Amino acid sequence: MKVKPHRNLVRGYAQDLRLFGSPAAKAGLAAMLLVLLVLPTIVQDDFWLSVLIYSGITAIGAIGLNLLTGYCGQISLGHAFFIGAGAYCAALVGGDLGLPLPLWLLASAATGAVLGGLIGPFALRLRGHYLAIVTLGLIFIGEHLWRNLTALTGGNNGTSVLAQPRIGPVDLGALEIAGENYSRNQGYFWLVWVLVALVALLAKNLARTRPGRALCAVRDHDQAAEVIGVRAGRYKIGAFMVSSAIASMAGALFGSYQQHVSPDDWTLLLSIQYIAIIIVGGLGTIFGSILGAVFVGALPALIDEYSSAIPGVATDAGGDGFISVFALNQAIFGLLIVLFLVFEPRGLAGIWFRVKAYFKAWPFSY
Amino acid sequence: MRSTNKGVRLAAAALGLMLAVSACGGAGEDDGAGGGKAGAPGNTAGFDGKTIKLGVITPLSGTVAVIGKPLTSGNEVWFKALNAKGGIGGKYKVELAEEDSQYKTDVAVQKYNKIKGDVAAFAQVLGTPSTLAVLPQLRTDKILAAPASLDAFWVREDNLLPVGGPYQVQAINAVDYYLSDGGGSKDDVICTMIQDDVYGEAGQQGIDFAAEKYGFSVANTQKFKLGTENYAGQIGALAGAKCQMVFLVATPSDAAKIWGTAAQARFAPQWFGQSPSYTGALAESAIAPYMQQSVLIVAEGTEWGDESVPGMKQMVDDVAKYAPEEKPDYYFAFGYNQARAMTAVLEKAVENGDLSREGVLKASTEIGTVSFEGLSGDYQYGPADQRNPPRASTIFKVDPTKPFGLAKVKYLLESDAAKEFEFKKADL
Amino acid sequence: MGHVNAFLTNVFAGLALGSTYALVALGFVVIYKSTGVINFAQGGLLALGAYFGYTFASNLAIAFGVAILLACLAAAAAGASVERLVLRRMVGQPPFAVIMITIGLLFVIEPLITAIWGFDSLPIKNPWNIRTVEVGGLVFGVRDLWTIGLTAAVVVAFFLFFRFTAFGLAMRATAFDPEAALAQGISARRVYAVSWAIAAALAALAGITLAAGPAGLSPSISFIAFAAFPAMILGGLDSPAGAVLGGLVIGLAEALTRGYQDELFSWAGSNVSVIVPYLLMILILLIRPYGLLGTKDVRRI
Repeated sequence: MKVKPHRNLVRGYAQDLRLFGSPAAKAGLAAMLLVLLVLPTIVQDDFWLSVLIYSGITAIGAIGLNLLTGYCGQISLGHAFFIGAGAYCAALVGGDLGLPLPLWLLASAATGAVLGGLIGPFALRLRGHYLAIVTLGLIFIGEHLWRNLTALTGGNNGTSVLAQPRIGPVDLGALEIAGENYSRNQGYFWLVWVLVALVALLAKNLARTRPGRALCAVRDHDQAAEVIGVRAGRYKIGAFMVSSAIASMAGALFGSYQQHVSPDDWTLLLSIQYIAIIIVGGLGTIFGSILGAVFVGALPALIDEYSSAIPGVATDAGGDGFISVFALNQAIFGLLIVLFLVFEPRGLAGIWFRVKAYFKAWPFSY
Repeated sequence: MRSTNKGVRLAAAALGLMLAVSACGGAGEDDGAGGGKAGAPGNTAGFDGKTIKLGVITPLSGTVAVIGKPLTSGNEVWFKALNAKGGIGGKYKVELAEEDSQYKTDVAVQKYNKIKGDVAAFAQVLGTPSTLAVLPQLRTDKILAAPASLDAFWVREDNLLPVGGPYQVQAINAVDYYLSDGGGSKDDVICTMIQDDVYGEAGQQGIDFAAEKYGFSVANTQKFKLGTENYAGQIGALAGAKCQMVFLVATPSDAAKIWGTAAQARFAPQWFGQSPSYTGALAESAIAPYMQQSVLIVAEGTEWGDESVPGMKQMVDDVAKYAPEEKPDYYFAFGYNQARAMTAVLEKAVENGDLSREGVLKASTEIGTVSFEGLSGDYQYGPADQRNPPRASTIFKVDPTKPFGLAKVKYLLESDAAKEFEFKKADL
Repeated sequence: MGHVNAFLTNVFAGLALGSTYALVALGFVVIYKSTGVINFAQGGLLALGAYFGYTFASNLAIAFGVAILLACLAAAAAGASVERLVLRRMVGQPPFAVIMITIGLLFVIEPLITAIWGFDSLPIKNPWNIRTVEVGGLVFGVRDLWTIGLTAAVVVAFFLFFRFTAFGLAMRATAFDPEAALAQGISARRVYAVSWAIAAALAALAGITLAAGPAGLSPSISFIAFAAFPAMILGGLDSPAGAVLGGLVIGLAEALTRGYQDELFSWAGSNVSVIVPYLLMILILLIRPYGLLGTKDVRRI
């Protein structure tokens, strides 16, 4: 009989870095794929589908931010700027020029990368708090641009985004497979979540290989990283470019799904929401970004759905509850950030890893 | 190696299951579109044979809730009064499904998706950005919605049912009043001060149109961002340009700061405020004396509680009966008017025996002119390209002794220039 | 009224606005200097302080001067308790996490305010409002004069406190080297709590002076804190003098851009003044990465 090592025994770095190492991970991946494919056919409700579509779009953007902040340690409050840029790019390339889905998506990503490359150099000169506030300025300067570049953005009116989710003959806005019609929301669900999976895979690949380790080194101490031969400056700018490219893709999807965007969509609040998502989800984990996005995206919908059951919440115009649904939402949002940071700095992903570790070592877990 | 095989098998199984489920999972387009051709309307989305359900997407929380709440209350009071009289066609009650948009476009789209399957039409969608965000879907879903803003580009949209004279009309009538009864002349220095957004641009458009018609040029235009703290620069520029008339497009909180700064700078031109610049609280604030002296407000309808106007008498009675707590408010009256227009559409649809989405849309083109009994000018509906919004505005002065702090100076002024203003279909 | 008068009016408006920025920025710096945290919740504390002022002055009809004092004390208590309840648990955490905590706090404070006081704008009963005085052909708003005067008084008191009192010395020592200060028997806890209290009181003062105008008080008042960020960064995060300087520079730059928008800046779109603080901040940071008066930190590997 051949003696095999236990599955939990890791015998080399290569094993540690496998994307889907354990059988459990593979099963989990398969289950997730299954859910992704089947969910829209079960949940046909347009409300929940649109909530999940927005969550998926947010998840893509959050992965981008997590690469920059969670892996490379650069705090950016300017994420909303790149998301907006992506949406306007999609309006131009996908709408006005009428190019198909892959092209407007890539064009947006390229725009984001270029803009990120322009902002990146600031990170070389500024650190920590100073960088955070400069990127905050980016939001306001961006808003000024969106309001004044009327030819591109439609100014205050905003612009309609006619970028169609069309690849060749396949129109995800009105899918037809084997005689069965699928709604626009179902089509977008598949599009968005397949992209979430792709972006997550790419980001994970980036994070587990040499560039990812370099990013972590820069995050932990950029000068020490330089000493061991990591070109910190290059990686910082690179992280900005990749992160903004992903953010712009998310923006393009947002615009294409909503079909109309205006400068009021890209405010500081959006940036802060993204930061909250990666904190609640877990800094420095790709999976956490997705968890956080779904959690933060679906929570308001859940609260709203069951708000009538919560005492003291006003639900309609004449309602005289103590606090409105929106205010409750915001307060819970804030509390979550505080509680996670104080009690679970590794976020939802941290909880997940602990649960996993517990069962991995079961029955000897402690 | 073994585990990889297992993974492949699992994935294959997953794919098989997916196909099996999806075969019966399309969200077909054919749900809930039944409509009787004659007689009683058939059951359809938002109509169960007894009650007609209408959607409301409005900010019930957040900073814009100060507008959303009274406006929705206006919707409610009208329909409560209507239901007490039997309802649409004397037999169908109307019920509102209210959703909080928080004045955010993505939330508005989510909420739209949430209730679109349960409603016959939307009695209110508040806010220009929110309306623009749901408009593409309104078109594909063939649903009618009444936007709660006075933008000009709603006039030519098939899926929208606007009420009231757009902001442009108010601005033109303000200029007309200034040049005639107001004692101004076209050689005066006429200026504008506008909020830097869609709402501000609408007012500016009206003034620019009037400038062309009456032969003057706008001497100075100051723009400001919503929520600015300090207006000394703008007021200084207007004073420096020696403006004699300034048309202001703002919201009350900014308008208070602007007029306060002007009062401090002893700059007293003739101000005209676009209707949303004003709120009753201003007439009780420290700047009331300045406003009494220098500010006129251009709005619709008549002063609150003016019983000589039948529509106002009815509204005040309804408020006393169904919402006694409600304070006098423009937005309330707007919501009330909006509900009246929607009622006209539903009456027509019931008469046609078709409350389906197409039926409601069709009815909206057939209602002809709707009278708002003096609360707003009569609106000539019909196919979107032939609609004619009211061209009348009322000029008010500030008078703290009145219920809403406004006393009418010139009732239903309908200038020739305002009649000539053309509404074009916007490229949205 | 000539060009000179118009210029002076703009300068005065800039100083008044800059004074408000300076108060808020000073609050940022006090907290940053002693605890190393940028407090994003400062805007929330500012709004809270202003609403306390409303309650004292309008609801309870307390004399305005006393109401300001009470509001500052109440806000200070709120600031200290926030530090005690939340921030103290975060000592030693990375700056990013602590920044986010304060953002979370902002999100908690804002709905709390609207739940208690609502969204409508509320008038604070005050003797300033839109009254003016005329000096040599120039008209000054009484409220602006008071804002500038109070800020000047607070700044002087602030420097005296840090220079001449034992506790001020303790705070400076803690900021300079927490461990050495601890070894000298200085209670770091008290220092942290007091710096939050001071920051909140400064914010409350800024909030009330802002809200005493004709527009009254509404929840959006907290946005002013974001506009004060450039002031703080411009001056240098850890320099109180820099905060005051930065506040005044930013206030002046904003007011003057606004005043000469038509003549000089129309090519850059409308409302250039809104982004001028940020542009100025970025420009200065590129030349001096630690602000005008901030200290460059020495980094060790």
